[in-house]
Amino acid sequence: MSTVVEVKDLTKRYGNLIAVDGVSFSVEEGEVFGVLGPNGAGKTTTVEIIEGLRKPDSGEVRVCGIDALREPARIKDLIGVQLQATSLYDRIRVKEAVDLFGGYYRKAIPTATLLEEVSLTDKQGSYVDGLSGGQRQRLALALALVNDPGVVFLDEPTTGLDPQARRNVWSIVRSLQERGKTVILTTHYMEEAEQLCGRVAIMDLGKVIALDRPSALVAAAGLQSTIELTAVPETLRSALVEADLPGRISEDGDQMLVYTAKPSHVLKEVTRIAADRDIDLESISVRRATLEDVFLALTGKQLRE
Amino acid sequence: MKILGRQVMLEMRLFLRRKDDLFWTVAFPVFFIVLFGLIYGDMQWDFVDLRAIEYIMPGIVVMALMTSGIMATASGFVEERERGIYRRLSLTPLKRHTILGGQLVQRYIVILVQTALLLVVGVLAFNISIQGNPLWVWLVVTLGALCFLSIGFLLTGLIKTARAANGISMVVFFMLMFLGGIFFPTEMMPDFLRTFSGVLPSTSLNDVFRAVIIMDLGAGEIWRELLIAGGWSVGSLLVAVRLFRWE
Repeated sequence: MSTVVEVKDLTKRYGNLIAVDGVSFSVEEGEVFGVLGPNGAGKTTTVEIIEGLRKPDSGEVRVCGIDALREPARIKDLIGVQLQATSLYDRIRVKEAVDLFGGYYRKAIPTATLLEEVSLTDKQGSYVDGLSGGQRQRLALALALVNDPGVVFLDEPTTGLDPQARRNVWSIVRSLQERGKTVILTTHYMEEAEQLCGRVAIMDLGKVIALDRPSALVAAAGLQSTIELTAVPETLRSALVEADLPGRISEDGDQMLVYTAKPSHVLKEVTRIAADRDIDLESISVRRATLEDVFLALTGKQLRE
Repeated sequence: MKILGRQVMLEMRLFLRRKDDLFWTVAFPVFFIVLFGLIYGDMQWDFVDLRAIEYIMPGIVVMALMTSGIMATASGFVEERERGIYRRLSLTPLKRHTILGGQLVQRYIVILVQTALLLVVGVLAFNISIQGNPLWVWLVVTLGALCFLSIGFLLTGLIKTARAANGISMVVFFMLMFLGGIFFPTEMMPDFLRTFSGVLPSTSLNDVFRAVIIMDLGAGEIWRELLIAGGWSVGSLLVAVRLFRWE
């Protein structure tokens, strides 16, 4: 495996605001790398610097061994980019748009193949301004792939899409990975990062605050499992808090969350304490802790508001 | 060169699909030449030895050039810039001067077609006699294209939003049209207005076109107007280059 994208000490200021504050990471060939964080965390600015759309105040960017800040023109044939909001001429047809972009590159994937891949074959004669959000996003994906790039950047590829359209995009990303492409995607959906990404960089306030495989991030935060109890009576709540369970308890009204590495042990204890007091638990569930929980644990705030 | 050709085709295709551009650049000028042709018929004005429609027609050509050079250019470019199209294109190997080249060539072609169309309508429908040497006519129309395209691109550097671009380019267009002696001779204006009107590019090009297309005068007789139009072209071009922005 070789390093395809390398970012070192990237910094970008806008007036008093530090949008990107010393960001470093590297992405290996064939990886699906996620940049996860809330809106305004600096994800888009970071990837747009790598793509050559913005100039950083300091730092280094190498793409496929090329100094992307010094020679941005040389990386254009190697990368494909889907911007957060892709805008095209409104009076252009789907097929024309793909043909047009293909013509800008030295080599291009045949338009029919690309349209097939993003399931837009039956829309090829439609004007761009008549497409739905999901169709537009898939067209943007097709345009990002038209030069058969080794590295693909997807900036919030599923924001604003319905669940079905989101799953379509996910399956395209998976097929890209199967073909050995490197994918760098930004998202503020933790589920998306968990589903798609081999490694995830969590960003907040312009900094990378954690970077690892999703499962390792969850483990490192000591949050292997979450036991969720709802409608817990007051007496049981105090009993559980005093019970010295092997895990961390957080209460929210009559709902309790127990983060633990020993879920079956905690579960047994909880049911025993409840049964001893002759209390029936209305709802109890065990789930794996998610990146959402990691973000909460690291920053004390929710990923999505 | 091949890529430039493709860009020109793209711009032309987009242009033909924009109904508002087509209306302003084709229907609007043709409507006016037909309207004036019907109003004036064979009427003469007393201050000049030309039929009224012959006097008016070169001004309609100026107006047509302004619809392409100023209105379509300023609003089209600012809108595409605002939509982020140039930003997306900058991620491809396409060179920015090729984008610009495609637009300029396409607009120039439209301008030549507009001019030819108006001349044909004038000759066939209203019996206007065209005296000018075709090469000389082509040269002055090209000067007009350069002048108004420069002004159009200058406006794109000053205007941020597509909404503003539509409004401002329309105001500039109508000012240059009414003060440029296109609907009525500048001879009818009061002196102070006439002086102001005299230095406008629309007025000078109107006079140049009339002298060249209808009256077949040589450069020696219209050097002052040529100088004004040339000055506007060069001046606007320089400022346009300075103010030009892609984002």
